[in-house]
Amino acid sequence: MKIVLDRPRCEGHGLCEEAAPQLMHLDDEGELVLDREDVDGADAALAKAAARVCPVAALRVA
Amino acid sequence: MSGGTLNRVVVVGNGIAGLTAADTLREAGFDGELTIVGDEPHPAYSRPALSKALLLDGDDMSSHELPPAGHGATELLGVRATGLDPERRIVTLDDGSALPYDRLVLATGSRARRLSELPEEFTLRGLDDALRLRGRLADRPSVVVVGGGALGMEIASGCLAVGCRVTLVSQGVPLITQLGPYLADVFVKAALDLGLTLVETGSARLEQRAGEARVVLDDGAVLEADILLTAVGDVPNTEWLADTGLTAKGVVPVDSRGLVRPDVAAVGDLAAFPTPHGLRRVPLWSSAIEQAKVAAGALVHGDDAPPLRFQTYFWTEQFGLSLKVVGDLPLDGEPTYVDGGPGGGPALMRWSHGDGTGVAAALNYRIPIPRLRRTAQAAA
Repeated sequence: MKIVLDRPRCEGHGLCEEAAPQLMHLDDEGELVLDREDVDGADAALAKAAARVCPVAALRVA
Repeated sequence: MSGGTLNRVVVVGNGIAGLTAADTLREAGFDGELTIVGDEPHPAYSRPALSKALLLDGDDMSSHELPPAGHGATELLGVRATGLDPERRIVTLDDGSALPYDRLVLATGSRARRLSELPEEFTLRGLDDALRLRGRLADRPSVVVVGGGALGMEIASGCLAVGCRVTLVSQGVPLITQLGPYLADVFVKAALDLGLTLVETGSARLEQRAGEARVVLDDGAVLEADILLTAVGDVPNTEWLADTGLTAKGVVPVDSRGLVRPDVAAVGDLAAFPTPHGLRRVPLWSSAIEQAKVAAGALVHGDDAPPLRFQTYFWTEQFGLSLKVVGDLPLDGEPTYVDGGPGGGPALMRWSHGDGTGVAAALNYRIPIPRLRRTAQAAA
């Protein structure tokens, strides 16, 4: 599965990073960086958890 | 593991608190029968988006949509819980059915407090409310918003941005009780610059006269508009728990792990959890998520699960300003500017409270939230 970021929507709340720090982080400018885009198994579950806490619906896992 | 057998868990409430609890139960290793009950027919959505992007987003109607749930629960949507027998461990639903459980999560949230029973009184709490308001805004109606908190101001901002004439009625300066005078002033200036009509009053009520609904202020002044919308706080949905002994003054008090008793957790807007200022309800998105994670862990692992260590994270977007705050609000006095300066941003500010805690606020300022948290700690 692949993590897809809708960058214009991202407001840098960082709740996704708190849910899945292994997969993504906010850089020094507050921009979200996907450290891994292709995920499977437990990582896919983690990515989905990160997507679900995003209050601006900027992440999808498909 | 506490409380005996753990084969069946029922989560009552399908907002972000209930959804996060269900997800976390699975992450914590619960692989039994999971049922989630939601009184709205919709899948869980982002409530913060309703008063922000969803009012504005042109034809894009997806700014509130969360990805599909992955917890594999049986979802009973459009069904309301009507009662609980905590001794027999049974939840009853308004369709007449009964759900037995081994562990229970109470996450029925809260609803908008209303000023009247008039059908003309709009409130914005759920997705249906937002879609209905959005539909009405297409005709550019005149709008009166009663309530100078974050929600009232966000709605006023959204209505103004789509071209409505908007009057906001506020008890005192808008946002002053939520944010403190310094930041409230920044937002009020921005709102007035964009054309908001602001009316400060001691109190306001809604009444119907000659078939028309209107707002009446404490000095007798009358405000009329095509849309009368109130945003005057929320009321926890705890009536269905009235006979259980689990509620106090309309809320559900919980311990530091979100538990009411070893087999029942309460999370989200209906729960009052221990804070340095006593038992408090903190009805915010990030609060609901943190509470739900802790409580789900405690239902599975008992006292071995870590307790809640919640640091308030709050944000709002309105009148062209975006604010993110870590730490306890409201704020007294002027900030120290870590970056930028006065004038509406971009700026990174911090305050120190008398109790040794700090607060960091980013105004139109992109910053990684971990850094905002560190900035708040540095201010302590």
